[in-house]
Amino acid sequence: MTVVLKKLAGHLARGLVMILVVATISFFIVRNIPGDPMKAALEMKVAAGADPVAAAQEVKVIYGFQPTGSMWSQYVDYLAGLATFDLGTSTLHAGQPVTEVLTESAKWTVLPVLLGILMSFLVGVILGVYAALRRSSKLGDILAISGSLLHGVPQYVLGLLLAAIFATSLGWFPSEGGVADILIEPGFTPEYIGTLIRHAALPVLTYALASYGGWVLAMKSSVVTVLGDDFILASELRGMKRSIIFRYVARNAILPLFTILALSLGLLFAGAVFIERIFNYPGLGLKLIDSVTNRDYALMSGAFLLITVAIVVANILADLLYTVIDPRVRQ
Amino acid sequence: MKRLAAVVALLGMAAVSACSSTDNKPAATGGAAAAAAVYTTVDGNKPGIDPAGPANPFAPKGNSFSGYNAMKLAWVKNHLTDPNQFYPGIAESWEIATDNSSVTIKLQPNNKWSDGSPVTAEDVKLSIAIAYTQGNTAFTQVPGAAGSASEVTVVDDKTIKVTQDMANPVTTFARGVLDTPVVPAKLWSSVVGADIWDKIKAARTEGADAEAARTYLTELGKKIIAHNPGQDLSAGPYVLERVNASAALLKKNPHFYNAANVAPEKVQLLNFTGNEQVWNYLIQGKLDSSPFVAVPADTMTKIKATAGNQVIKGYSPVVVGLAFNQSKAPYDNVHVRRGLAYLINREEVTQIASPEGGTAAVTTSGIHQKAAAEWLGAELGNLEPFATDVAKAEEEFKAAGLKKSGDKWTLADGKPWKVSMHAPAGFSDWVAAQENIKNQLIKAGVDAEVVTTADFPLYQTEMAEGKYDTGFWLIGLGPAPYNIFQRIYGAANGWANIGGKVTHNAPGKNGNWMGSKEEVEVEGLGKVNPGELTAKLNAVSPEEQKALMLQLAKTANADLPVIQLWDYVNTQFQNTTRFTGFPADDSDLLRLPHGVWIQLGLVKAKS
Repeated sequence: MTVVLKKLAGHLARGLVMILVVATISFFIVRNIPGDPMKAALEMKVAAGADPVAAAQEVKVIYGFQPTGSMWSQYVDYLAGLATFDLGTSTLHAGQPVTEVLTESAKWTVLPVLLGILMSFLVGVILGVYAALRRSSKLGDILAISGSLLHGVPQYVLGLLLAAIFATSLGWFPSEGGVADILIEPGFTPEYIGTLIRHAALPVLTYALASYGGWVLAMKSSVVTVLGDDFILASELRGMKRSIIFRYVARNAILPLFTILALSLGLLFAGAVFIERIFNYPGLGLKLIDSVTNRDYALMSGAFLLITVAIVVANILADLLYTVIDPRVRQ
Repeated sequence: MKRLAAVVALLGMAAVSACSSTDNKPAATGGAAAAAAVYTTVDGNKPGIDPAGPANPFAPKGNSFSGYNAMKLAWVKNHLTDPNQFYPGIAESWEIATDNSSVTIKLQPNNKWSDGSPVTAEDVKLSIAIAYTQGNTAFTQVPGAAGSASEVTVVDDKTIKVTQDMANPVTTFARGVLDTPVVPAKLWSSVVGADIWDKIKAARTEGADAEAARTYLTELGKKIIAHNPGQDLSAGPYVLERVNASAALLKKNPHFYNAANVAPEKVQLLNFTGNEQVWNYLIQGKLDSSPFVAVPADTMTKIKATAGNQVIKGYSPVVVGLAFNQSKAPYDNVHVRRGLAYLINREEVTQIASPEGGTAAVTTSGIHQKAAAEWLGAELGNLEPFATDVAKAEEEFKAAGLKKSGDKWTLADGKPWKVSMHAPAGFSDWVAAQENIKNQLIKAGVDAEVVTTADFPLYQTEMAEGKYDTGFWLIGLGPAPYNIFQRIYGAANGWANIGGKVTHNAPGKNGNWMGSKEEVEVEGLGKVNPGELTAKLNAVSPEEQKALMLQLAKTANADLPVIQLWDYVNTQFQNTTRFTGFPADDSDLLRLPHGVWIQLGLVKAKS
C-alpha cells in the first residue's frame, strides 16, 4: 500500500507541474492567435443590417468581458483564478463562467465517448482473442483485416460515411444532430430515453468503430505473444484444461491494453472535435471550435486545460492501475 | 431484482421508441391538427442554441428570439429608400415630427406580458435606459453624437415621447428609437438601478464625472447582457417553454395583443451551427420557413424537390465588391482599377459564385441595384456600366503606364504584376468568385492569385492593417443613405465622423486601409470630397439626400475604390404543406424575423 501511495504522491506532483506548464503555454498561445474578434463581430453585425454606431457599442459591451491589462498581469490573474478553479468569464456566452459552459458541454462529450470506447474495448478485446486463437482460419483473417481497415480510416471519414448512409440516405437517425427531440417532454420515460438514444447513436457508433480496430489488433498481437510464452507451453504439457489456459492467456494479454484504455479515457475530452462537428452534437469539441472562431480566449484556455488535466489524470490512473493489476510491478 | 427488471423494461421500451421515433420526420406526420400546432424554423441570428442561456434579449447566446418572445417597439421595414418605415410591435402607432425633432409612440392598448400584467410606458422607458448601455443610434453615451435623444417623457401609461437633441440631428432618429427592444421593468429594474437616468445625463456631458458615468454605463451594459431574469416574461406572441441543445420550444402567449390571429400553438426553433444543417432540415421538409442561407446549386435542386418547399426571393441591402488598397501601387492609379473593371465579367462571376443568391451588378454605383434605381432614377443609366471590354481595358492599362511584355501585363518599370485577391477560408462563394476572376484575368494577360486567410477575424484584422492589395468588402448596406456610402467613404477609407465633425486620416492610419485620395476629380462635378458628402447624408432633407446620392454614385463610378460585383438576393424558403399566408417575392416582410409574420397574423394553419 505504501508503494502505491508513494507512487501516487510522485505522480500528483509531476501532474501538477505538467498542468502548470501546459496552462502557461496554452495561455500565451491562445492570446497570441492573430485576428481581432471585435472587428469581425462588428463587420458581421453591420452586414446583418445593424447600424454601424450601435453595432460598435454592442460589440464593445460584449467584448468587455475580455481581460484587460498587460499580458503578464492577465497571466497572474489567470493563475490566481486557477487556484480557486475559476477559469474566467466567457465572451461568447457573455459573462457566464467558463466552468459552467464547459460543464454543460462536457456531459454531451463524456457519455457518448465513454460508451463508444467501452463498447469498442469489449468487442475489440473479445474478437482480438478470437482472431489470435483462430489466426490461421478465414474468420481470423477477416477479423484482422477488418481491424486494420477500421484502424486506418480517420474518425471524420467514418463519421461522414455513417451520416451519409444512416442519416441522409436511409433516414434512420437524425442527420442534423442535437441531443433530443424538443417536442418530447424530458423525463425518465421511454420516449425521452428513446430520442436521446436516436440522437447519440451515430456519434457513439463512430467512436466505437473508430477505436475498435486498434483494440482487435492490439489484443490479437498481445495474445499471440503470450501464447508463445514458456508458461503456456508448460501448462499444456501438464495437461491443464483449455479453459484454464485461456484464462492465463487472457489475463496476461490484456495487461498492456489496460494502459491503452486508461490513456484513451484521458482523451475523452479531446477526441470529439470532428465527430461532434459532423453530427452537430453539442459537446466539448463543438464548443472548442466555437471558442476558436469567436476568439473566446478564456473558453479556449479552459477547454485546453480540461483536456490536459484529463490526460494527466488518466496517465496517473493508468500507472496506478497497472500497479494494482500486475503483481510484478508492485514488486 | 424487480428494480432491475423495471429498468430493463424501460430501456427496452426506449430502444423500441428510438427505432420508431418520428423526430426525424416533418411535423406533418402527426396529422393535420398536430402539424398546424407546431411551426418549425431556425433563427438565422442565433446559430448554436445554448440550453444554459438566459431568456435575455441582450445576451448573444440568450434564449430570447426576436419576433417570437423578444419584442421591439416596432419592426423596421428596411424600405429601399425610406429608413423610417415600420410594422407595429409593442408600439401600435408613432408620430414623427416633420423636422424629426421627436417621436411620440402609442403602445398597443391591449398588450400584456405573459403573466397577464400590462405593458406600460414605464417598461418602455426602462428599456430605453438599457439601450444606452447596449448600443443604439438614438440612445448613445457619446456627448454630441449625431441623432441622439435629449429627453424621454412618459406622457401617460400607454404613450411615450422621445425628443432628439437638435444640436446635431439626423433624419433616421425615429428608426433608432423604434428599433429598441422592450423588456419588463419588474424583472430588469433591479439590475438597472434607480439612478440610471442621472448617470445617462452625466455621461452625455464633458469632464471627469461624465467619463466616470460612461464607465459606469459600460460596466452596467456587461451586467445586463449577463443577467438571468430567471423566467421568460414575454410581450411577444410566444413565451419560452423549454430549450435543449437541439432546439428551443416556445408556446403561445395568450396575453399577446394579437393572440387571436397567431395561428401556430407552438414554435420550435431548431439549432444549427452551419448552413449544412439548415440544408438538411430543408431537404427533409422539416422547416415551415427558413431565413436566407447560401445554398450550392445541387443542394438547391434537392431542396426544391421536397414536397411543399418553395423558394422566395426579395431585396437584400448587401452588395459584394472587390475593394482596392490604394496605398499600394499600381492600385493607386484609377486607370488600373478601371482596366480591371473592364476585364471582369461579372455575370460569369455571379453565375459561379452565387447563382441563386445574387444578381450581377449592372454597374458600380456603391448602391444595390434596386435601391440605386430608386435613388438615381434615369441617371443610373448614365453611369459607366463597365461591360466586359478587353480593348478598353488595354487602353486604361496603357494610360496607367503599364506595359505588355509578350502576353503579359507588367508594371511601368517592367517588373511583374500580380493581382493578389484575399478571402477568408470558409466563405465558399467569395473564394469561388475570386478563383473565377483570377482565371479571367490570367486569360487576359494579367497575372493573378487567390490567397485564403484562416478565418474571418484574421481577414478583417489583416485587411484593416492594409496587408492586402485587394479583397472582398460588403458595400451598399442600406437602407439609410449614410450607412450605404459610409462603407466606401467612411472609416475604412479614412473619413471619421465624430459628433457630426468629419476628419480624414492618412492612408494606413486609424483603420484607413482603402487609401483613397481625400478629394477626387469627377467629370461634371469637379473636385469632390466624398467623405464629407457622405456625412451630410445623415441630416439633410430627402430631396437633398437624392442629390447627394447621385453625386456619390457618380464619384464611386468614376473613381472606383471598389468594383461592384454582385448584389445579394434575399433567398428564403417556405414550406406550404402545413401553413399558408407567407410573404410573397419582394415583400419587405422577408427582411424581418419570421416571428413578425406570425405575430401580424399573416401565417395561417392549412386546413
